[in-house]
Amino acid sequence: MAGDNLDPAREALIAEGFRGSRQPMILVDVDGHVAAASAGVAELAGVSREVITGSACADWFLPEGAVGQCTLLGGCQGGLRRQAQLRNVNGELIPVEIVCSSFHAEPLPGTGAGAAPDDDVRRHCFFHVEDIRRREHDDQVRAARQAKLPLLNQVSEALYGAHLTLDQLQQAILICVTAGQGLRFNRAFLLLVDDAGTILRGELAIGPSNHEEAARIWHDLADRPADLFEMMTSYDQSIKNTNAAVNEIVRKMVVSLDRTDHILVRAMHERRVARVTGDMTFPGADELRGWLGGGQFAVAPLTIRSGPVGVIVADNAISGQEISDLDLEFLQMFANQSAAAVENSRLYRELEKRLVDLRRAHHQQKEDQQTLLRMERLSVMGETSAIVAHELRNPLVGIGGFARTLMRNLDETDPNHRFAAIISEEVARMEEIIHDLLDFIRPRKMLRQETVIDVLVNETAERFRGELEGAGVQLTIEPGCGELALECHPGEVQQVLQNYLMNALQAQALGGQVIVRTSALEGGLKVEVLDSGPGFADADGKRLFSPFFSTKPTGSGLGLTICAQIIKAHGGVTGAANRPEGGATFWFILPLPRS
Amino acid sequence: MAKVLIVDDEPHLRLLYETELRRAGFETMTASNAAQGLEFVDTMHPDLVVLDIRMAGMDGIEALQRILERNNSIPVVLNTAFSSYRDNYLTWAADAYVTKSSDVTELLSTVKNLLDERLAHRN
Repeated sequence: MAGDNLDPAREALIAEGFRGSRQPMILVDVDGHVAAASAGVAELAGVSREVITGSACADWFLPEGAVGQCTLLGGCQGGLRRQAQLRNVNGELIPVEIVCSSFHAEPLPGTGAGAAPDDDVRRHCFFHVEDIRRREHDDQVRAARQAKLPLLNQVSEALYGAHLTLDQLQQAILICVTAGQGLRFNRAFLLLVDDAGTILRGELAIGPSNHEEAARIWHDLADRPADLFEMMTSYDQSIKNTNAAVNEIVRKMVVSLDRTDHILVRAMHERRVARVTGDMTFPGADELRGWLGGGQFAVAPLTIRSGPVGVIVADNAISGQEISDLDLEFLQMFANQSAAAVENSRLYRELEKRLVDLRRAHHQQKEDQQTLLRMERLSVMGETSAIVAHELRNPLVGIGGFARTLMRNLDETDPNHRFAAIISEEVARMEEIIHDLLDFIRPRKMLRQETVIDVLVNETAERFRGELEGAGVQLTIEPGCGELALECHPGEVQQVLQNYLMNALQAQALGGQVIVRTSALEGGLKVEVLDSGPGFADADGKRLFSPFFSTKPTGSGLGLTICAQIIKAHGGVTGAANRPEGGATFWFILPLPRS
Repeated sequence: MAKVLIVDDEPHLRLLYETELRRAGFETMTASNAAQGLEFVDTMHPDLVVLDIRMAGMDGIEALQRILERNNSIPVVLNTAFSSYRDNYLTWAADAYVTKSSDVTELLSTVKNLLDERLAHRN
């Protein structure tokens, strides 16, 4: 056969290689017939390989000559690429791209049947057939993605750049979901997890409630600039009055997070966008359809690093348009951005609040510090002036004292007598000022308080009980004043009683008895401590309360003196006596306020 | 005649008290610091001591304690410009506390009363 320069053995080998190949390929002989076809081409054509093999290329490919022409005419150098169509078994035309490569047939070793290539310019050719339908689809998707990217970028800038309040931010998110320049959904609903983390609650919604409203809005917005900032503000004005219906709906949207199988909760936890069509059934779907009206809708989770914070629900309830994969993809991308922005805004708000608190605290601290400084300065000034005033007393005593002496030594008719008198009067005036300044404060008196004496005595004696009984001394308390109370420094009165009790204990180191007795007198009350010790020598009686008098070898002699001074400072008296039955009584009497 | 020891580190005030106490009929002796005062208590046996508190060296409070350790029957009048010592219980051991004044009437009457008391007690 003239021009047939492919030996059958090689052709069979190629056919065998094509048999299982998913790649759509054909080998065309010099007459333009299919010498071999791959499984991929057969599948594309919708027939078996056998049907194609041997048939004319023109039966399958359009336009005529698109495939095989080079073979017939010869001269194919390979690498040709052209658009064509493949007519499949159903008569459908499939757009394909054909790549031709010239086939150089080297003789198989050992057959010896090969002819020299330049005998005939016509040759078998390989054709690689690519279905470009998918490519068109991919190109469309790519183009759409590219078109949306600047928008996402704008959204991102808008959400992060602008210092929106949380409310404004929520609204901006929903505007972006529904805007024509945005994701083009008809309606959008925002649901957020509440602060307690137990409930997913509808917060805000945007969208028209019917066709008329939708038409008006879309018409209104047709001429609006694509800039997102302007869009967000103008859109806001335009839809303000049309959100009543959707916001009615969003208020009903409350789902407990315990319902983990609920579509909204599930979408949130699985962190995956979901599209729900009208015929799907699962927990929560009917509830949502009840709220939304039965059509298709999409759910996109709002997730931040620490977990889910809410969902966006979007649908095309007005236009009825299908929600595409691309729509879902963008909704998810947008939701991710939004979640981060919401979290950002929350953190920002929190930070702002802390900043305000911090500023306030700082301000307060500054004020306190100044007050403290002022007080310190005043206190130092006060102390200094007190010392100065005290120190002035000595020279004044000298001046005034001698002026008086002078005055007395001079005859009253002597004019110097009058001058000495003037000096002594002026000094007296200065001393008066110092007295008023320094001597009126009696801090110990300020510590006095209304005290029920029996309570005080009981407490004090009970505190001693352990010590007394440890030494074999039996303690008896005989309160007799009831609720009688007086103004006193309780700590000081307690000190007196303790002193008496200590003396009683030391007076009977080998055991004995102590009675603490209180009794009401006319205008006063008496507290006595009676012991069963040796008593004291009558000669010591008068000196017991004198300073540095002590019958004890180790005593300082100041104990009872201090007792006496304390009671005296309270306007009372102290005393001691030997008991006729043995032992001693130490007592004090405190005056009751005159009523 | 009762002997009064005046212990004060201010020479003018010593002179003033000396003058006034003598005029009131007392015999006086003066010491310009607490140590000297203690020495006179031992050697000259005064009947009463008028004691300043704020003094260089040993102060009046310590001196009071030392005097009473030697002889707790001797009356001591604390005579000071500082009224705040009244709140220090260590001063309570004194028989009287007089705030210094150019009018020495209070000091004189206090001294007189204490000596009269002592005299009555002794009789």
